[in-house]
Amino acid sequence: MTRPVFARTESTAASRWHGLDPLTRLVVALGTMIAALLLGGVVCLAALGILAVLLPTAMAHELRPVLRLAVLLALPLGVSAVLINVLFSPGTTSEGAWLAAVVVLRIVIMAGATVLFYRTTIPADLVGSLQHHGLSNRITFVIHNAVAMIPRLAERAREVTAAQRARGFDSEAGLLRRGRGIIALAAPTVLGAVAEVEARTLALETRAFTRPGRVTVLRPPHDSNLQRAGRWSIVVGLVALVIARVTGLLPC
Amino acid sequence: MRATPAWLRVAAGLGAFAVVAFIGLALVGSRDPQAALDGFGLVMVAAIPAGVAIYALVEYRQTGRLDSITRQFGTRTLVLMPVAIALDIVLGSAVASALKIPVYLDSLGTVLVAVLAGPLAGAATGFLSNLLWTYLAPAPFASPYAAPFAVVAVVVGLLAGTFARWGWLRPRPGTSGRRLLVGGGLAVAAMALMALVALRVWLAGAEGGDLAPSADETAFTILGWVAMLLVAGTGLGLLVLLLRQRDLAAAYILAAGVITGVSAAFVAAPIAAGLFGGVTGSGADFVIAALRQAGADLQQAVLGQSLISDPVDKVVTYFLVYLILGAMATRTKARFPQGPHLVPLTDEKVDDAPGVRED
Repeated sequence: MTRPVFARTESTAASRWHGLDPLTRLVVALGTMIAALLLGGVVCLAALGILAVLLPTAMAHELRPVLRLAVLLALPLGVSAVLINVLFSPGTTSEGAWLAAVVVLRIVIMAGATVLFYRTTIPADLVGSLQHHGLSNRITFVIHNAVAMIPRLAERAREVTAAQRARGFDSEAGLLRRGRGIIALAAPTVLGAVAEVEARTLALETRAFTRPGRVTVLRPPHDSNLQRAGRWSIVVGLVALVIARVTGLLPC
Repeated sequence: MRATPAWLRVAAGLGAFAVVAFIGLALVGSRDPQAALDGFGLVMVAAIPAGVAIYALVEYRQTGRLDSITRQFGTRTLVLMPVAIALDIVLGSAVASALKIPVYLDSLGTVLVAVLAGPLAGAATGFLSNLLWTYLAPAPFASPYAAPFAVVAVVVGLLAGTFARWGWLRPRPGTSGRRLLVGGGLAVAAMALMALVALRVWLAGAEGGDLAPSADETAFTILGWVAMLLVAGTGLGLLVLLLRQRDLAAAYILAAGVITGVSAAFVAAPIAAGLFGGVTGSGADFVIAALRQAGADLQQAVLGQSLISDPVDKVVTYFLVYLILGAMATRTKARFPQGPHLVPLTDEKVDDAPGVRED
């Protein structure tokens, strides 16, 4: 049986990248994304892509699935970028093409960094790592529950959509009917989810959710001095990049 | 215990926000207004935390605690936040991929939390929504492009929470004719102002030429006008609600949606134009293409599209939240920090209730 391209890789997989603290992987992904937003030229972006996306992806033995998924994710926006900046641009075609190339490269890098992080990190591991590094219990609760809630809500939305279609809602109809359909789809989905809040609140309060103090992390991350130094280097590098961008010292 | 003036910390927070925003805009575009507009999103990244930090500092100096902030993050709010984040992500993805109209509906949860719990809870929900949408949302909902727009969601959350605190989402059925007239007039004025801003941007894009794109690009001409018609249609729909149910809240919803949408547009447009060449992957891309074809440069086209799409999106969002609030039991709403601002007023409470002066 083939493995679906969207699936996450188990954190126990044997690669040095998987062995890193999830916080380190998050800092790399966030840092790559911010750097992609700050850098402008094709050459600089290409260098960033090789250094921050291709190398770690190869290190994680995920080159093929990550590239495939990154291109899949980047394709709709990339096509729009080319259409808007080349075909519908009132300026010269070469200017539009150059801008489109920068945008497409940036989108692919951002998609690649995100996909690599997504495929190699299990949310529970990240939340555990964030908790281990001192993030408040309340924030970790919100993050963990939000991620778990998405598939549940999507399932509920699918059920509502099927029910509304059975009642005559046509998602392929004219603009006016589709606009009206927003309310028919969203209201029952939302109301059902909101109705659960009260019961969950009571359940949490009876389990001393608001008790002060740190909780014990059952699966502490594999952190090290080298990784700490690496994370701080990325932060310092980003600050330098922002300063260079604001002062106009950045060559691209 | 001595009462501490809340207005002082609010004024201090707003002052800090204004000072940082002014300095930031001066730094990024001291001579060029277009450069200042392009850097608006970046400036907000610094100005909003500065405002919140000064607000918190003044409150701590006044009371020795941070009650007005911590109160917004009770257990009930913390349970609602994941639901709201999931709503933002699931509905945002579904509307973008299924309906393909220039509306996003990706801030319903943010506005819901902001309205029920407060501006900072709403801002936190919006911020986390966009970050999680990029980094942790499971396929097929993950979007690598949501995170840079987190600051937009923060602005939406802050404004929605503030409007709810002012009582703008309080039901007002059976309002007297005079008040309805004033409310309707203000709502129409807000709509007219928004349309005027959009028109000016569009005209600037067309370099003073004819507003309507030429007949050669029929498809894009139609799409551009459809977006404009959606603005007018939503406004008309709310006015019908206003007159039929005599609920003045419709006017407040319209005003809140337009103000939030225009604010969000000014923050989001430079991000979309500068980082993604104007593309968002939603139905709004067609509007940008139409404006580009009409002669607007990229920044003007994206701002024009945002000024058209965002107010519509936010009016629809506020309207849906208003419907959700109407469907919730009064006692459930009242348990949230801003619940008392969302329930209808009894006669004896009318005179001293928050937001009543806007009536």
